[in-house]
Amino acid sequence: MERVKTGIPGLDDMLGGGYLPQSANLVEGAPGTGKSTLGMQFIYNGIVQYNEPGLIITFEEFPQQYYHDAESFGWDFKKLESQGRLKVIMTSPEVTRHDLESVGGMIETVTAEMGVRRILVDSLSQFERLTTDPMELRSLQYGFINALKREGLTSVLTRESLMLFGQQEDNENSLAFVADSYLLLRYVEIESAIRKAMLVLKLRGSDHAKDIRQFEITPRGLEVKSRFEGHEGIMSGSPRRMSDYFEEAFLKG
Amino acid sequence: MNSDDFTAKLMNDMDPKLLDFVRNKVNSFIKWDLVRFFHENPNTADSAENIAKYAGRNVSAVKPELEELVEADVMEKHVVGEIPVYRLSNQQDMHRLVDNFVNACEDRHFRVKAVYHIIRGMR
Repeated sequence: MERVKTGIPGLDDMLGGGYLPQSANLVEGAPGTGKSTLGMQFIYNGIVQYNEPGLIITFEEFPQQYYHDAESFGWDFKKLESQGRLKVIMTSPEVTRHDLESVGGMIETVTAEMGVRRILVDSLSQFERLTTDPMELRSLQYGFINALKREGLTSVLTRESLMLFGQQEDNENSLAFVADSYLLLRYVEIESAIRKAMLVLKLRGSDHAKDIRQFEITPRGLEVKSRFEGHEGIMSGSPRRMSDYFEEAFLKG
Repeated sequence: MNSDDFTAKLMNDMDPKLLDFVRNKVNSFIKWDLVRFFHENPNTADSAENIAKYAGRNVSAVKPELEELVEADVMEKHVVGEIPVYRLSNQQDMHRLVDNFVNACEDRHFRVKAVYHIIRGMR
């Protein structure tokens, strides 16, 4: 099956080769875990490695911040914009929603003119300010995602998690249902050091890695490393050594 | 030549296109802020309410200035759904003029002159 490769070392392996074409892919994590970096890298690699022009829609950070952050990884977003291969658009969920619903809207026009294939929407959490009704929110998100697919785009959609450590909070998470894949980024405390963990929770219509991998933000961008060995309860944020469990089970039990 | 005439002559000593831009298009400090914001974030397209938030100002102060920038062809207004959405003009000449203005503002002497013309225009 054809795949849309992220080009991120280790991630495509976890995704069984990459994202599915014209799919909506949710990336969720706490502030600073690397959601935007992952999304920017997906867009940058798409342009320079796979010749697929990209679009970044930001609902929160100023485009200026993206240019700056990208530069720190050696990705010249301004140059790509001047070449017509990238556009970083700042707008709001309410405008984007109406824009995509209308014929000949800004996103539709830019997509057609530039031949855009990939899009980063950062972050979809901002849709939650449009309504407090969970059913309406799900409907809005569903409509938005379908509009992106209609335009032939493979999307990375970020979502903020307020919990720095531990399990997903109990609030509404309809996005996980409507998205085609669901990638979770987490902080993990191991032996008094903070590490970052990644898990593919869902990849519709495809097999994917089930293990929890370590990842790092390097000067070249995000890199997925090996799986966590010898620990249990990684996604709780405070894992324990497997040996502790054995000790409890066999010695204390 | 009296001192007012001398000052005016000194302050008019800038690129005629930029002088016209400052006198007739970016003729307030809010417009200056907005033009700078859209120069730094050129693909922003949003409602007056959200642009006011980005600029850290009150929408009642920002909206009339946005409207005047639209009248001056610095910006464009499109109605999306029922929301008036503002963005920087798509015209290359205007982009160039905005770039030149913001780049010229890096120079303290130019800034002093621009401030002079804006204050004179506000009288």
